[in-house]
Amino acid sequence: MIACILVPGFELRAALRKQPGLALRPAALAPAAGTEPLLGPVTAEAERLGVRPGMRLGEGLATCPQLVLVEQDPAAAEQAWEEILRSLEDSGFAVDPAEPGCVYFETRGVERLYGGLEAALRRALAAVGTAWDPRAGAAQRRFAALAAANVARPGQILVVSDERLHDFLAPLPLELVPMEPRRRAELHELGVKSVGQLAGLPGAAVAERLGPDGRRAWSLARGGKPARVRGRRPPAEIVEALEFPEAVGNELTLRRAFAALLETVLARPERGDRFIRKLALSARLVGGGSWRRSVTLRDATTELGRLKAALSPKLAELPAPVLELRLELVELTEHDGQQLELLPAAGGELDVRLREGLRQVRASTGSGSVNQVVEVAPWSRIPEARALFVPRDD
Amino acid sequence: MVAHSGSPGAVRAAGRLNQPRPAVVETRVDGTPVRVNRQPVALLREEWRVVDRWWTEEPIARRYFEVVLQSGENAVVFRDEARSCWFTQRGA
Repeated sequence: MIACILVPGFELRAALRKQPGLALRPAALAPAAGTEPLLGPVTAEAERLGVRPGMRLGEGLATCPQLVLVEQDPAAAEQAWEEILRSLEDSGFAVDPAEPGCVYFETRGVERLYGGLEAALRRALAAVGTAWDPRAGAAQRRFAALAAANVARPGQILVVSDERLHDFLAPLPLELVPMEPRRRAELHELGVKSVGQLAGLPGAAVAERLGPDGRRAWSLARGGKPARVRGRRPPAEIVEALEFPEAVGNELTLRRAFAALLETVLARPERGDRFIRKLALSARLVGGGSWRRSVTLRDATTELGRLKAALSPKLAELPAPVLELRLELVELTEHDGQQLELLPAAGGELDVRLREGLRQVRASTGSGSVNQVVEVAPWSRIPEARALFVPRDD
Repeated sequence: MVAHSGSPGAVRAAGRLNQPRPAVVETRVDGTPVRVNRQPVALLREEWRVVDRWWTEEPIARRYFEVVLQSGENAVVFRDEARSCWFTQRGA
């Protein structure tokens, strides 16, 4: 069976962990800067007062003037989600995360471990933690498991057998089927409002009228294709962070700090000789929010220049001054047949000797004694704002 | 159950280079330094002002002096106009 664990409104719940008092008040996740002004998930109190997720910001505030907008905190959400996934992995579930708040896993292997399907799902819910109000659904197909989890109440487990699948899906609202909003609106105008009504239409007619997206939705409404769930490869845990003495908004300063972080993270012994496939840059912003961008490299590399070129331009997208910059090596790969240098680059040996010398200094004087000076604002009229020193313990 | 073995990494706090250090400065009536940290000033080489970040909650208003002490040592001192106290600073 395929199981789905769902935490509705995960981003809002993650952002509310810093201000738990808001959970009982009408609050909604604010739209991200530069995106369409649509509300994200909302609290139960906001829903009671008529605010719906996906509502226009203006409409939401007009419906409920006391609505509190909670700033998005993608880095906190990502971190909380990673903690949940690790907790599930520690309990033996090979997880396949779909998006923050929604994860699938195959139950076959763990049923024996925990003494049955229901016991295994109960264990999974406990691993997520009751504070998140998770719900579990299980079925032979992925979409059916997701639909079951959507219908379940917090802490509840809903198992749908293949025989009952069509009866279970038929009365569910069409909103459960992922598709483009205008296709859904088109179906609503045609009077198709439930999953069963969509599944009852002829497939060819749906494909002709709504295109490939409609055909896919139709296929899901009939239960979807049986597909295997593959557990993810756990991410590497090599992280370096730099906390600034004051908020930094200058892009050049941030680029220099990023370069220093990159050098430090590349020198971490845990990386060994492995190459970097995916890395993520995140920042804690002034005012409590956060920002995160990740990049997957087509060719895994450890070349400083290429890594800088891949991530540095993202710094221009920062919406506010930064208090802390964080660099994460998310995925590392083994050597994949790259062309090595015939002769070592000039200065390579000196670099090795210098590192060895610094290691000796550190060993004799202790951690924090070796620092790198990073020139951040050499044009500044304030001498102490021109350069920072960053501890090097690599 | 096997715990994850990876180390999470550390947050390194970056420090400021050339931070001002408190100094004991005696002055003339016009505010120019006569003694810096109990050493007499032999020569006043330069004087300038830095007014910055007035738009923030921590505005900067400093009157800098570059002096040569009687021992032959060069020093840069400034008076923080907001806090009415003296500091020495390198890299100015």
